[in-house]
Amino acid sequence: MKLSSVDVYLDWPVSIKLKNLREFIITNLEQKGDVIRWSIVDIQNSIDSFGTKKLKIKAVLAN
Amino acid sequence: MEISPTIFIVPTGIGCDIGGFAGDALPTAKLLASASGCLITHPNVMNGGTLSEKDQNIFYVEGFCLDRLAKGEIALKSVKQQKIGIIFDSGIKSEILARHLQVADACVATLGINVHSYLVTQKPLKIIIDSDSSKMSCGIIENPDTLIEAGECLIEKGVTAIAIVAKFPDDSDSPETNIYREGKGVDPIAGVEAVISHLISKFLKVPCAHAPALDPIALNENLDPRAAAEEIGHTFLPSVLIGLSNAPDIVELPNINELISLHPNQIESIVVPNGALGGEAVLAGIEKGLNIISVKNKNTLKVTNEFYHYPNLIEVNNYLEAAGIILAIRKGINLNSIKRPLEKIEKCYFID
Repeated sequence: MKLSSVDVYLDWPVSIKLKNLREFIITNLEQKGDVIRWSIVDIQNSIDSFGTKKLKIKAVLAN
Repeated sequence: MEISPTIFIVPTGIGCDIGGFAGDALPTAKLLASASGCLITHPNVMNGGTLSEKDQNIFYVEGFCLDRLAKGEIALKSVKQQKIGIIFDSGIKSEILARHLQVADACVATLGINVHSYLVTQKPLKIIIDSDSSKMSCGIIENPDTLIEAGECLIEKGVTAIAIVAKFPDDSDSPETNIYREGKGVDPIAGVEAVISHLISKFLKVPCAHAPALDPIALNENLDPRAAAEEIGHTFLPSVLIGLSNAPDIVELPNINELISLHPNQIESIVVPNGALGGEAVLAGIEKGLNIISVKNKNTLKVTNEFYHYPNLIEVNNYLEAAGIILAIRKGINLNSIKRPLEKIEKCYFID
């Protein structure tokens, strides 16, 4: 097993409700590895008209 | 009086004004435990280097398992005593190892804790600290497999909880360490500590916590009182052993055979620093509609309810106020009844 510390940037579309946000993030992270630790460390409102928010996630993954 | 089980989180390595140092959120945890009757919190809150304290109303649960509890994947089972095994990183110098072994003996002799055995890893863990610690300290270990193997061996020997002591790089003169010791920055090693204990929790599913092994550090006259608990001994192991001594067992759900002390469905609230709403436990709590009590506690993050608009979030100015909110929830008192101005009740209409 090898660990890596990564910053992951995700667009959070308005179609993903708040109560589904965790699952949305986990699904994305699991495509990159086995998730050991993660947290959203930054959110920005997008300037586009779709209401998409920009997430920065810090994660430690195992491969 | 009914209890109001509450999770108390101070995320590791984000420089929280309260709880970002050496067990300096422990008095707050005791207050919230008294208000709620049942507090679930993690080692970062409770471990003050040489200092710690037991509280019958506090469950000591490692962060990875705390997240799983919030998600409803596990329950907790109270135990009178854990049989603790210690994993020592083989990178630790012999004199420092001897100091730690004396601490373990002292905890058996003086506190009556059941420290059963120890094991030295076959390879050094090799800590790598993420240098970009401006927002959240982080890092990894190069040899996670050797850690897991050591834990498996201890469990085969009969231990029920695991303390880990890892050798950390000697950075006692680094700017990050000095800033932290003077109460101004993020704990540079806290993030890796979390990764180490998360690995044990994830793969071995037993109570665990981590203490760093550091070389003796030079006296700093400008030491912040919140970091002082880490300066009064040779090791940080005592608080870990005290916390683990009766940490609850982890019960995988569903489970009909074990006697469960706390089921996740009983949890009513999560207390978390304002700006730190991006963790898994908080998001899981939001999914379940729990009360999220967001407390002003200066830190490096700005993940606030401005982006969520979660209706069950209560913002308070300090932990004294949070304790009052928890007590009101526990007693079933409408929070609005205590605020002014008091609005008249809403008139509803039939929907055509």
